[in-house]
Amino acid sequence: MADHDEANEREERLKSALWYTIGQFVDNEGAEDFNATPQFIGALTELVYTQIQNAAKDLELFSKHGGRKVINGDDVMLLTRRNEALEETLKRELDRMRAADGRGEEQRPKKKGRPTGMGARGKGKA
Amino acid sequence: MPPKAAPAARRKGPSFKPPRPVKPAASTAAAKRAPNATAPRPAPAKPSAARSGFHPVTTIVSSDEEQDAEFDDLPSDIDALMEDALDEEPTPPQPVALDLSTPPIPAPLLVRLLHHNFQNENTQIQKGAMNLFGSYMSIFVREAIARAKDERERAGRSGGGAGSRFLQVEDLEKLAPELLLDF
Repeated sequence: MADHDEANEREERLKSALWYTIGQFVDNEGAEDFNATPQFIGALTELVYTQIQNAAKDLELFSKHGGRKVINGDDVMLLTRRNEALEETLKRELDRMRAADGRGEEQRPKKKGRPTGMGARGKGKA
Repeated sequence: MPPKAAPAARRKGPSFKPPRPVKPAASTAAAKRAPNATAPRPAPAKPSAARSGFHPVTTIVSSDEEQDAEFDDLPSDIDALMEDALDEEPTPPQPVALDLSTPPIPAPLLVRLLHHNFQNENTQIQKGAMNLFGSYMSIFVREAIARAKDERERAGRSGGGAGSRFLQVEDLEKLAPELLLDF
């Protein structure tokens, strides 16, 4: 039981940190433009937290499905499988990071194309 | 593979790895079609539509000068390569200016949040993957805020309570379902 409480407490602390950081972000982002009620910040925090929770589970399962213990970039790209525009944006981001890291990174197998399994998804409409 | 023609042509942003066979095929196909029947129309139209969804994000974010400076040398010759490859529609990769200026969620916190939610404690994540996930969440948060702003403006216009400038929970409620479907 003590274990459980501890986990809960840690979750609460993490959520508080997230709440604080998101509050800061919204304040900075909309300094003169707009503002947000505290309730909005709270709700957004919950939303983001839930999204991270889901993503964590997904990533874990993706890597496990790939027979790996370590989550890699392809797993993250899989998160975007339902949104082409997002996939494109993230891929560009990935390329940019890779370029920043020095091009040596590129010889890592693929990663440039989507993971091969995804062809089945029929992403190319038409 | 044939259905890939359109997306491939449009996704020329990351295309600086020449060894991909799909690319030349796609561009020649497009070129062939061009004389016959003003067909190239649909292709250019689509990318703009697809991209427009993210425009708000782009505009909000574009303030990381130091990052740009840091990468100045690399992108320049990448661009050169790309223009060699195919010269239609030379759109600059706009969202490049994305994130990292001030990520909504600092990386250390995000790592903790992620690890807290892993079911297996031994699960690990590569650094690059972590950075990428940081970008993903950054986009998520910014998109949520941008859409909330949009909701607010709409609410203000449609006569509501004089359109207060404060983002409300209701705004978030309205946008949440679609946002979650998009991510």
